[in-house]
Amino acid sequence: MSKLRLTRRTFLAGTGAAVLVRGGLLAPTPAAAAVKVGAPAPAFTATATTGKGVSLADYRGQVVVLEWTNHDCPYVRKHYESGNMQALQKEATGQGVTWLTIISSSPGTQGHVSPRQADELTTTRQASPSAVLLDPTGVVGQMYGATNTPHMYVIDKAGMLVYAGAIDDKPTARRSDVQGAQNYVRAALQAVAANQPVKTPITRAYGCTVKYP
Amino acid sequence: MRAPAVRLILAAALVAAGAPAALALPAPASPLVAVELLAETQSIAAGRTFWVALRQAITPGWHTYWMNPGDSGEPPRIEWTLPAGFTAGEIQWPPPERIAAGPAMSYGYSREVVLPIAVTAPPGLAPGGRVTLRGRASWIVCEKTCVPEEAPIALTLPVTATMPALDPRGAPLIAAARRTVPAPSPWPASFVATPEHVTFAIAARGLDAQRVSEAWFYPARWGAIEHAAPQRWRIDDAGLTLEVARGPLPEAVAGPVEGVLVVSERLDGGVARQAFAVRAEPHAGSGGLSLLQAAALALAGGLVLNLMPCVLPVLSVKALGLVRHASGRRAALRAHGLAYTAGVLASFTLVAGTLIGLRAGGQQLGWGFQLQSPLFVTLLAYVLFVMALSLSGAVVVGARWTGAGQALAARAGYAGSFFTGALATVAATPCTAPFMSAAVGYAATQPWTSALLVFEALGLGLALPYLLLTLVPAWQRLLPAPGSWMVRLEQLLAFPLYASVAWLVWVVSQQAGSAGVAAAVAGLVLIAFAGWVYQVSRAAGGRWRRVATAGVVALGVAAIGAPALDLLVDTRAAARVARADGGAWEPFSPQRLAELRAAGRPVFVNVTAAWCLTCLVNERVALRSAAVTDAFARKGVVRLKADWTTRDPAITHVLGSFGRNGVPLYLLYPPGAAAEPTVLPQILSESVVVDATEKI
Repeated sequence: MSKLRLTRRTFLAGTGAAVLVRGGLLAPTPAAAAVKVGAPAPAFTATATTGKGVSLADYRGQVVVLEWTNHDCPYVRKHYESGNMQALQKEATGQGVTWLTIISSSPGTQGHVSPRQADELTTTRQASPSAVLLDPTGVVGQMYGATNTPHMYVIDKAGMLVYAGAIDDKPTARRSDVQGAQNYVRAALQAVAANQPVKTPITRAYGCTVKYP
Repeated sequence: MRAPAVRLILAAALVAAGAPAALALPAPASPLVAVELLAETQSIAAGRTFWVALRQAITPGWHTYWMNPGDSGEPPRIEWTLPAGFTAGEIQWPPPERIAAGPAMSYGYSREVVLPIAVTAPPGLAPGGRVTLRGRASWIVCEKTCVPEEAPIALTLPVTATMPALDPRGAPLIAAARRTVPAPSPWPASFVATPEHVTFAIAARGLDAQRVSEAWFYPARWGAIEHAAPQRWRIDDAGLTLEVARGPLPEAVAGPVEGVLVVSERLDGGVARQAFAVRAEPHAGSGGLSLLQAAALALAGGLVLNLMPCVLPVLSVKALGLVRHASGRRAALRAHGLAYTAGVLASFTLVAGTLIGLRAGGQQLGWGFQLQSPLFVTLLAYVLFVMALSLSGAVVVGARWTGAGQALAARAGYAGSFFTGALATVAATPCTAPFMSAAVGYAATQPWTSALLVFEALGLGLALPYLLLTLVPAWQRLLPAPGSWMVRLEQLLAFPLYASVAWLVWVVSQQAGSAGVAAAVAGLVLIAFAGWVYQVSRAAGGRWRRVATAGVVALGVAAIGAPALDLLVDTRAAARVARADGGAWEPFSPQRLAELRAAGRPVFVNVTAAWCLTCLVNERVALRSAAVTDAFARKGVVRLKADWTTRDPAITHVLGSFGRNGVPLYLLYPPGAAAEPTVLPQILSESVVVDATEKI
């Protein structure tokens, strides 16, 4: 753990929204080759909108949801304008789950926001994530192989990745499709809470591409 | 001519609703995609299926998506509101482009795409009215950002009783799009998945590596492979092998993997993209067959061969020999078993060697390749016929081929046993036992050492039952006591052989037509006669016997010579085969072309080759289609097929005279000996050929 602390300190000493990876060994690699469902979720540290560094390791022992987002992407808007995402956030955090919303849009691309703009979005959309992390270099996104917004991950209490993929089974941008969709993230959280294996651990994420640099 | 009654309603696309979020970037001008519904015909008729198409005109720089959109996006959808009784099929997807975005890969279309859909009118539709097909098309269009759009689409068409005329605008667009829609791949495909990779083997034997500039496999569904990962491919004797990083979904490789293989082929004038629908089966066993598994399967296959109707009599007669001489010296019996086995293995080495040699020469062969030659099939029928006559008692060759009789204990019989082994191999050729095809299929794709090993295992399996009987004396005691039943059994065993002969003659009929059958049957009669002469001469002595022997040899030569003359020299056999393929195609020769033109017939010349992908696709989508066949028939066009699979100087000359050095080349000669031919494009569609034919 001392290594990780060092990383955090190094990070705090730094400026901007740089993201450091444990040991600096995990170079960005193509797409989903990076993470494996059923294996430990890779550690990362990123800046929250509060300016504080947030590490996955800080939440050891808790269930963590990672949500990749881009507020202007029609698929993200489908789930926010329908209230679907906010409802799931409330439900999850109410049960002690940590919800990390991550923005990997690089500067000048769609969805890129300043910390203040990100907080405004949280307020106006009445969202309730535990923290919003800014990943403008895309290092965390590429480490997790996040290709879409929204792209969802669930990590169990032991730090294992138990779900990766879409939010639900209706891969459209139509708000009316929220109704009646099977929500994979909710199902994964229920399974984890009940100590059961996740029935559908891997799905095709759908949405807009993540705007990496 | 009536004014086209097609009413295209160009739909204004509507951007999906939703107030812009607080921090939205300026929204791009909409619509980014203009859509229209096209029709192939100017009217429709009751009960007929006709084509319509959704055409998307896409703002440059933006793209819409394929049926598998890749790592993001979604395919266009149509929600139809059709009049009662009408049904619309699925969208037929032209092959997509790859659109890379960072670590993600999308599959889609840019600038323009025409998505054909088959619509069927109900049978009871009354002529005179009009029908309107309505629907709502929705799609997502992306550049760096994505915009969902949708629009109403509609098309009004009159109902006529006559054959509908083609719509001048819709028909060519739809025909061009349908031409690119992947046709089912003509080659078997399989894949092997390791934790890191998926390797596809597409048995496109004879593909010319020099002609292929690119190959890409677009999976029909997400999960089996990494869309964004590079695809490494190579072309060799076995066909196309393509390796790509494995995708994240484990169950995606549990069953067949479907998708579209797009191969870019260099032609004279440029590069043609050909798309094939591929369904790759998981290779037997998760890691494919290992050499050991293949050898084990081959051994089992060889064992089963003993039960095949053409082989069973051989083994049975060998076993009967054992019954007769169970009291013989063990060492001699063992030696006979080994000699028989050696005969089998030597013959298999010969078969395998020939196969491997021919494969190295670029030929595509499998077990039983010899059966492709009508002469070989005829000779095989003769051999089996002689064996059958012998079992029936009509000819007593006895000691020679059964290896039974007094010779068994004698050293001289070992050669007989060896040749019985060879005979068993020859007799086994037309039979394919279960387990064998997998093993031989494996051998066909492996280096020669592995291939040889698999073939030897097959031979050992064939030899094993007899070998064991001779090696383990205890087993010989299990054989029943000798008696008159043995004669009856021998006679009975002749019938599977006669049946095999009948079957082989049928094979000849398929390969060489009635002339081939006549030659083969005449040969059988000569052989039966030779057998009788031989039999009679055994009773006579001295000079008469020599005369008779000479007569038998002469008859044998005549029996073999008849079909050989007919089948080898007569090129009509090849012509017949060519005509059977695809129907109505005559083989090309400059003389035939000149003859037809002198006679004032219009002629279509198809210069093609088996290894030319574009030729293959053109034949499937255009030349063999009903519309083209009809057009040719109406105009009385004679079809000549110039097959350049093996270089033919006459065809090379034709290519050269049109400034070409490769296939395909399509020539349409109008009637009249002096008329200049039309050179059709290298990429054919139904309408291209039909239009050109209508003009002559």
